[in-house]
Amino acid sequence: MKNIIIGQYVPGNSFLYKTDPRSKIIALIILMVATFILKDILQILVLLSIVLVVLKVGGIEIGRVAKGLRPIMILLMFTFTFQILFVKTGNELYSEPITISYYNLLMAVGIALFWYFTKRFIKFKILYFLFIVTSIIALFTLYSPGSVITTSIIEIYTGGITGAFFIMIRLVIIVTMSTILTLTTKPTDLTLGLEQLLKPLSIIKISSEELALIISIALRYIPTLLDEANKIMLAQASRGVDFSEGKLKDKVMQIISLLVPMFIISFKRSDELANAMEARNFVPGEKRTRLHVLRWTMIDTSVIIFGVFILAASITIVVI
Amino acid sequence: MAIKFEQVNYEYIGVDGTKFKAIDDINVEISDKGEFITLIGETGSGKSTLVQHMNALIKPTSGDVTVYGIKINKDFKKTKKIKLNPLRQKVGLVFQFPDYQLFEETVERDIIFGPKNFGVSDQEAKKRAKKIINLVGLNESYLERSPFNLSGGEKKRVSIAGILAMEPDILVLDEPTSGLDPKGRDALLELFMSIHKELNNTVIIITHDMNTVYKYASRVLVMNQAALVYDGSPIDLFTKEHIEDWNLDLPEIIEISNNLEKKLNIKLPSMARNIDELFEMLKEVIL
Repeated sequence: MKNIIIGQYVPGNSFLYKTDPRSKIIALIILMVATFILKDILQILVLLSIVLVVLKVGGIEIGRVAKGLRPIMILLMFTFTFQILFVKTGNELYSEPITISYYNLLMAVGIALFWYFTKRFIKFKILYFLFIVTSIIALFTLYSPGSVITTSIIEIYTGGITGAFFIMIRLVIIVTMSTILTLTTKPTDLTLGLEQLLKPLSIIKISSEELALIISIALRYIPTLLDEANKIMLAQASRGVDFSEGKLKDKVMQIISLLVPMFIISFKRSDELANAMEARNFVPGEKRTRLHVLRWTMIDTSVIIFGVFILAASITIVVI
Repeated sequence: MAIKFEQVNYEYIGVDGTKFKAIDDINVEISDKGEFITLIGETGSGKSTLVQHMNALIKPTSGDVTVYGIKINKDFKKTKKIKLNPLRQKVGLVFQFPDYQLFEETVERDIIFGPKNFGVSDQEAKKRAKKIINLVGLNESYLERSPFNLSGGEKKRVSIAGILAMEPDILVLDEPTSGLDPKGRDALLELFMSIHKELNNTVIIITHDMNTVYKYASRVLVMNQAALVYDGSPIDLFTKEHIEDWNLDLPEIIEISNNLEKKLNIKLPSMARNIDELFEMLKEVIL
C-alpha cells in the first residue's frame, strides 16, 4: 500500500520535462486529431515511428509506456479479434465452417472452467489465454458430435487483418501519447495547465479555478486516504476480519467494515480541510497568486509547431 | 513465553525507495500471565509498529516474532493449517483512533463483531456486550445507539469494549486514554487494572503519561529512535536512568519528592508511589 505512486510521474531531464504543461496538452490534442484523420495503415505506421522517435529523444523507457498499455490489453484483444472476424473486404484468405453442437459447447465450457482454475499457476498468462482461445476455436471447427445447434463460417479477409492492425496501432499511439504526458508532467502541473487552458469556460459560468482546486485536492488526498485504508484494514484484522479469504457473505461484511469507516473519515477530513481553508481566509472564486507560475518558452512554441505540422501533413495526405 | 521478539527489524519503504527503520533489532519476551506493561517513548519512536507485530498484523523485515508458538518472519505465509485469526483473538489490539474500527449501525453490533468473527455465538456475544458496556463506563442504553453519534470519549470506550468482548489473553492498547477527561482516564485505567487482577492476564499500554506508568505498571519498555532502550521496573527507570535523553519526564509524585528533598534538605527512605505514601514518609522524616 505504501509503495503506490500517485500519477505516473517519473523525474527526468529531457525536453519533454522542460515543456510547459499547457503546450503539452494542446500538442496532445492536435496529435490525437491527426491520429483520427489518418485512414491508411502505412500512414499510421509513419505516425507510430514518429511517436517512437519522440520517446527516444525524450529519454522515456519503452517499458514504462508498455505498463501504460497494460490496462487496455483486453480492449486491444477484443477489437483485434472482432476486426479480423467481421470485416469482410479485400481478398479472402481463409474460410472454415464451424459447427456448434451441444457436446462441443459443453466441452468448450469445460475448457473455459479449466482455464479459470488453472490460470493462477501459469506464468505466461496472456499466452496461456490465447492458447485456450485457439483450442476452443479448433474444437468448434474440428469436432462436433451430437445434435447441432447452429453452424456458421469463419472467414478471414485481408481487409480484416489490415483493419485490425490499423485500429490496434491507433489505440497504441493514443495511449502512448497520453502516457508521455502523464510520465513527464507532475499531477500538480497538469492541473495547473488544465486550469489555464479551461479559463475560457468562465464565459459559460464554469470556474476553471474551482475545477482545478477539486482535482488538486483529490490528488492530494489519495495517499492520505490510502494510508487511512491501510490502518482501517489493520484495525479490522485485529477484530478477526480476514480480508484475503471467506465466503461471499463474509466478503460483503469485510468490505462494509472497510468502507464505512473510510466514508466517515473522508467526510470528517473534508470538513476539517474546509475549516482550515476558511481559517486562512480562502474565498472561492477570488483572484489568487501562484508560487509556481507557468512560463511559455521557445520549446513550447516548437512543440506546438511540431504538432500543427503533423496535423497539416496528415490532412494534406488524406485530402490528396 | 506468549510473545517473543528475536532481533526484529521493520522498515518502511518510501515512495522514492528510501528505507526508514521503524523498529531496530528488538529483543523482548512477554508472558501472557500477570504482567502490566507500559510502552513509552517519543512520537515516531516505533511503539505502534512494535505492537502491530504482537498480533501478526505486520511481518518483520528481518528477525522472528513468535506469538503463541507460531513463528512469524518475512517468509511467513498463511496456510490452511496455520491461521492468524486465533492469534488475533488471543492478543487483542485496540487502535489509537476509534474511527478506524467503528462501522456498524448500533454499538451492540459493533461490540459483538469481533467475538462473532472468532466463532462466538450470537447469544453469548450479546451477553458479553451487555456486561462490557457497563465495565467501560457506559450503560446499556448505549447498545442501541449509533456509534457515529457518540462523543470522542464514548467512541473510544466502545472501541475498547469491542476488543474486550473478544476476551483476549493479552490486551494491547495504543494510547487508550488520549482524548479522555482526567476522571474518565482514571476510571478506564482502573478498569484495565481490575481486569488484569481478576483474570491475571497481561495488559500492555502505550502511553505518554508518566503518572500512569509509575502508578500502574509492573514493567516498562522504553523506545527511542526505533530501538528498545529500557526494559525493567518503573522505579528503576525514574531513579537510575537519564530519561531526559529519551525525551521523557518524571511522574509528578517523583518530581515533588525530589523537590521536597532538595528544598527541605531531607532524605526520604524510598520513592513514594502516591501522595498518601509521600505524606506518611514526610511525617516520619520530619517529625
